Amino acid sequence: MQFKDQIDFIRQHMKRNKLRVATTILAATMGCAFLIVLASIGFGLHQTITNDVLDNNLVTEIEVAGKSGEETDLAPSEIPDGEVQKMREMDHVVAVVERTQPDADTQVAIGERSAYSRVVLSSMEEEQKSGFGLSEGKMPAAADEIVIGYHMASQLLTEAEQEKQANGEEVTGFSGSLIGQTIEVQLTPYMNEGDEKTEMSSWEFVVTGIAKEPTKDWMTDTSVYADSSWGTVFNEELGLQPGYENILVYADELQNVGGITNALKEDGYYVYSVTEELGKMNVFFNALKAGLIFVGTIAVLIASIGIFNTMTMAVTERTREIGVMKAIGAQPKLIRKLFLMESAAIGLIGTALAVAISYGISMLSNWLIPIIVMSSLGEEQPENFTLVISTIPWQLVVIASAISIGVAMVSGWRPARKATQIDIIQALRQEM
Amino acid sequence: MIKINGLQHHFKIGKKGNERHVPVLKGVTLEVGKGEIVAILGKSGSGKSTLLHILAGFMSPEAGSVMVNGQETAVLRESEQASFRLANFGFIFQNFQLMPGLSAFENVELPLKIQGMNEAERKMKVQKLLEKVGLEEVAGHYPNELSGGQQQRVSIARALITDAPIVLADEPTGSLDSETEKEILLLIKSLNKKLGLTFVIITHDEEVAAVADRQYRLHDGELVKGEQRYAV
Ligand SMILES: Nc1ncnc2c1ncn2[C@@H]1O[C@H](COP(=O)(O)OP(=O)(O)OP(=O)(O)O)[C@@H](O)[C@H]1O
Ligand SMILES: [Mg+2]
Repeated sequence: MQFKDQIDFIRQHMKRNKLRVATTILAATMGCAFLIVLASIGFGLHQTITNDVLDNNLVTEIEVAGKSGEETDLAPSEIPDGEVQKMREMDHVVAVVERTQPDADTQVAIGERSAYSRVVLSSMEEEQKSGFGLSEGKMPAAADEIVIGYHMASQLLTEAEQEKQANGEEVTGFSGSLIGQTIEVQLTPYMNEGDEKTEMSSWEFVVTGIAKEPTKDWMTDTSVYADSSWGTVFNEELGLQPGYENILVYADELQNVGGITNALKEDGYYVYSVTEELGKMNVFFNALKAGLIFVGTIAVLIASIGIFNTMTMAVTERTREIGVMKAIGAQPKLIRKLFLMESAAIGLIGTALAVAISYGISMLSNWLIPIIVMSSLGEEQPENFTLVISTIPWQLVVIASAISIGVAMVSGWRPARKATQIDIIQALRQEM
Repeated sequence: MIKINGLQHHFKIGKKGNERHVPVLKGVTLEVGKGEIVAILGKSGSGKSTLLHILAGFMSPEAGSVMVNGQETAVLRESEQASFRLANFGFIFQNFQLMPGLSAFENVELPLKIQGMNEAERKMKVQKLLEKVGLEEVAGHYPNELSGGQQQRVSIARALITDAPIVLADEPTGSLDSETEKEILLLIKSLNKKLGLTFVIITHDEEVAAVADRQYRLHDGELVKGEQRYAV
């Protein structure tokens, strides 16, 4: 029998029992849609959290937090310059910045205004390669030039303004551009036990650029970014110990971050990157998705009982016709195939409807649930955060279809086999 | 064409442990040549249908052999039996055995579909045959919209559509009135003449048997050649 004729054949059969076939398809649709919608929540939450991590981090940044040594672990500041240089030469590494902070209390001042600050010393050349972002101005070219944090201007207050701010009033800070201005950076060593008083020293710098806004909106950046050559100057002048250092490795693209992270780990470095965080999350979410798919499959199995019943009834009803087909010379294989195709068709139609319905439910819930949640909390949805409740990637559609159609065919298996075993003589005896 | 040799068959009746053997065929031997019409007569319960079922391969005999077109049918596997039937036999049943969901046309088309013939060729063939058996007017009707005689014509057309050389008929006129019966018998006779088809007709009716070239009588499990007619 040609395939087209087989399709015609089962279509005719399904038409003859419209109501029964339709209710069975409905059950299959509900089972499969339940599976997809349930699992889509796992996929949706995974996406929400992944997006959140990617949005709030410089994704190509890998932090080196130290290295395991022979006896004791090395802090970033103890890692020899040669090794840092080696990191710079790794494939896909665009820059490695070593940032140090002098171990001293820091303030900046311009005219009457002053603000608390911190000094970040780094190679400006490497910072530029790493993609250090400026909101205004340009990177320093000379040793006495600096970049300042995005919030510096608004935090530079006069004494009167500081008082106002303490009373909860709005203050605007420095108005106008700080670029080209000379500011004073005042460093005061922290007091040790027994010190009466520590001496403040100050240096003057020209501002050439303003860093871009930090990605996390709760962060206030009032740093001073200066060339690393100042480290020894500060330490000698103030008698400081080397301060806190961190090493940041920058990859060219997100997809290379994992490779670099692993290579550094193999060399004994303690590293931290977005892929590390995402990796841990992926394990958790994949387990969650598998669990949800498993629970959803139970619904599909329940629907399969309906398919089994429908097909068993179909075989019983058509015993005489099957007998005639066999008598005429139809192969038992053909009979089995026709019935398997019929149950597969029920599964297929059910799955197709389920996929369409699931997309509808998914879109609806992504629109509706955040509104309900936010209004019940009495809050507006944060601007750069979209809550994705449910996503249906094509992989989920493939998995759900395979489960649903597979289960339909398995439940049609026994009825189909029963059909092939029908005895011709008994079947022909049946009344019409 | 058909050689039946020493065919034996019995049925078991009753519960296990307390079964009774009912011998139905006790050594039936029969030869049918190409283009012949052979009628097998016999009382109800004499085993006529059983003989036909074995001949058709619907069941296997206990002993004896059936050769059709030089092929020993008992040795074939189930799937081979099916192909063999499709190629060699056409069937006419007492109660027509048409598919209720298919039109007259589609019922006749069914064996060709099973054979896998393409649509265009199939439609032409069915159209021609329907004209030959006088059904072109009702080709689109469903079985429940046809008279008994028309239904039997459809089933005859279905038996002939594959050009199978042998037609097996079990009480082909059993459900028809005597007028229609004559019509069907004439059709069988003319198809036999025109197409050289071999017919094995099973009946309990002397008048039906009269179309046959040879008649046999199944009696007490044995087949006797019987030209002579019993006095009624
Ligand atoms: N499946 C079966 N199990 C047990 N006995 C059977 C079976 N089929 C037929 N028989 C018996 O075999 C005998 C012959 O049956 P068969 O159907 O061949 O008769 P028949 O000659 O065709 O009769 P009729 O003219 O009424 O159709 C009968 O006595 C019947 O009871
Ligand atoms: Mg009979």
